[in-house]
Amino acid sequence: MKKPTLIILIFCCTVLLVGCSEERILERLSLPTLIGYDVNEENTEITTTAVIRQVSPEFESRIEIQSATAPTSKGTRIDTNLKTSRKLMAGQLRVILLSENLAKNGIEGALHTTMMNSEISTSVYLAVVEGDTKDLLEYQFPSIKDIGQHIFSLIDQNVDERLTVSSTVHEVSRDLYSPYKNTVIPIIKRQEESIMIKDVGLFHKGKLVGKLPSKDVFYILLARKDVEQGTLELLLPKDGFDIDDSKQELQIDKLPIAIDSLDSKRSIKIVNSDTPEFDLTIKADCRLLEIHRSVEISKMEDLKKIEEAVNKEIKKELERVIKYGQEVGSDVFGFGDYYFTHTRNPHITEEEWSEKFKNMKVNIKTDIRVLRNGVFE
Amino acid sequence: MNNRLEIKNNQMINASLLFFVITSAQIGVGIHGFQNVVYDSAKQDSWIAVIVSFIFAHIVMFIMIKTLELYGGTNDFYGIHIDIYGKYIGNFFNLIYMFYCTFAFFAVCKNYIEVIVTWVFPQINSQFLYATLFIIVIYAFTGGLRVIIGVSFFSFFFSIWVLPTLLFVLPYANNNHLIPLLNDLMGIIKGTYAMTFTIVGFEIIYTLYPYVKEKKKVQKFAHLGLAGTMAGYLLLMLLAQAFFSGQQLTKTIWPTLSMFSIVRLPFFERIEIFTICSWMMIILPNLCLYMWATYRGLLRMVKISPTKYAWIFSILVIIATLFVRSRAEINMMNNILSKFAFYLVFIYPFVLFLLAWLKKKMTKSKQQVKQP
Repeated sequence: MKKPTLIILIFCCTVLLVGCSEERILERLSLPTLIGYDVNEENTEITTTAVIRQVSPEFESRIEIQSATAPTSKGTRIDTNLKTSRKLMAGQLRVILLSENLAKNGIEGALHTTMMNSEISTSVYLAVVEGDTKDLLEYQFPSIKDIGQHIFSLIDQNVDERLTVSSTVHEVSRDLYSPYKNTVIPIIKRQEESIMIKDVGLFHKGKLVGKLPSKDVFYILLARKDVEQGTLELLLPKDGFDIDDSKQELQIDKLPIAIDSLDSKRSIKIVNSDTPEFDLTIKADCRLLEIHRSVEISKMEDLKKIEEAVNKEIKKELERVIKYGQEVGSDVFGFGDYYFTHTRNPHITEEEWSEKFKNMKVNIKTDIRVLRNGVFE
Repeated sequence: MNNRLEIKNNQMINASLLFFVITSAQIGVGIHGFQNVVYDSAKQDSWIAVIVSFIFAHIVMFIMIKTLELYGGTNDFYGIHIDIYGKYIGNFFNLIYMFYCTFAFFAVCKNYIEVIVTWVFPQINSQFLYATLFIIVIYAFTGGLRVIIGVSFFSFFFSIWVLPTLLFVLPYANNNHLIPLLNDLMGIIKGTYAMTFTIVGFEIIYTLYPYVKEKKKVQKFAHLGLAGTMAGYLLLMLLAQAFFSGQQLTKTIWPTLSMFSIVRLPFFERIEIFTICSWMMIILPNLCLYMWATYRGLLRMVKISPTKYAWIFSILVIIATLFVRSRAEINMMNNILSKFAFYLVFIYPFVLFLLAWLKKKMTKSKQQVKQP
């Protein structure tokens, strides 16, 4: 045989034989799509509940829920493997759920395990469960077939719609390993026969310290960065509007309106670096989506009036949300991030910053413009 | 100067190909994790350290080519050594350089296989991977220089698609991680030094120079090649800095690969697995060029056929891989190599240029004395 032919032959053999090195045949694997971590009261043992999808060639893929308790999460994996007929591979993991208890004790451990494993992608979502994850996952929801996929889609589409914060493993660990930034993770809860993203959890150094309802998420996003789109429902004070409410339909003394396509730009300025004092300016263009039919909006002045009220209301709400963040000591808005990167040699430690953050002053300026309304006045 | 290389015209390469050779010789395994190493000392100014290190590389490249030009383009690094130091000391210096090339070859494949074993096949026997890798290297090497240059050319185009996929990373970027600028000058200098392991590879010009057809264009394309690599490295550094927060970056072992892990294409769930495997195309020219460089030096001492040489060389390297096993040992090896490379690639060219220049002056004045 000629030499080049021989080399080509060896080359082909090696290429084909590589497939035999570590075979992973889909029908012989079980793929956890969701993992939930619980801890006991003393924080000594971890209970892992996994939603496992098993692909089979003949039937629909099966969903299996397994849980195990052990001192380390790797130990629970061994336990779970002992309970399943197929090898566990974590590559398809989409969501990691943490119980509220664990979140209060600190999420670093669970996160570090995930980051160390090269099998698990860093785009996996993290979420906190009110109560125990095991109870949530083992509940028989009549309308949900695959709870792993369901929770993933639930979070994923709401993140896209800016109704909750994106909390992938990467983002959470980025905030966690940054000394002056805190992270937010959505909190989900079972409500009757469905699952809902009820709150958003504010963290300080990896520990859950506070909660805000999901409707406040948009204000966190507004203060955090530029937002390209989003929907907001506001309750404006009724007075000052020319309301033709002869039929007395508007029962409450507030005027509910909805705006969307908020394209916002956020900018921060440090006014005084000792207090510290910040100027937070939010500029946004939006579209009026819903307003009570009795309010006149055809005239220029009417829209101006609405704009003014919207500005005032958003400012008030932002102040409230930031105030809450200060109270619980969780800087999820990125003030610390800005402060440390825009002051040269700040000479203050992390602890000093936490103190300063609680006493900082924020002057909010909003410039929201209602550009258009719908097709019918 | 009787040790000139005689190169037939059909063995020569076009100067424009130098662009691809230089970039593919530089981009290797260092790119996987250089952000981490540089960030350790330079912090938020790491990207400035990348630029500074490339400015040095440009200066060194200029000096290297000037040295070669002193010999009229018919002699390589090894020949210059023999001419300056004489046969025995010259060959001793050649041996040191050959050892460096072998070491670099060893480090490239060791680091690459380490990535494969960590991300893709945790249970595979790594000697098997070395064997498969070396069969391809031998195949390319025995094809001759023109095949090696061809591999470099294709490697460039096979790897360029990687950059657009990193655009998926942009939504997660935070520009605040890049400021304040110029915080710590000492840190930048240390970071520049830390770039050594990643930036070396362009010293291949020392051995490749006699083979280039249009000698006048060498400076232009060699520097273009360096600039091309810089663009790539700078982009990756800026992305990684914006993507990771400080401490997270120092804890991430291969930031470039970890960045891929967040990319999720509709038809491709885990793109980094594919990137790691296709990275073989990128390190292939690295390995071939280093192997070829050692071969050129060996030819000055013993006559040996390329095939025989390739087999002996590969077997020796495979045996050597048995002694470096854990991640800590690999890191130690990388540190030693980068120290070695720093002196050999960044300091020594200036010394050599000075010696070659003096030698030329002396022979000229001798001739002038003799003539009248």
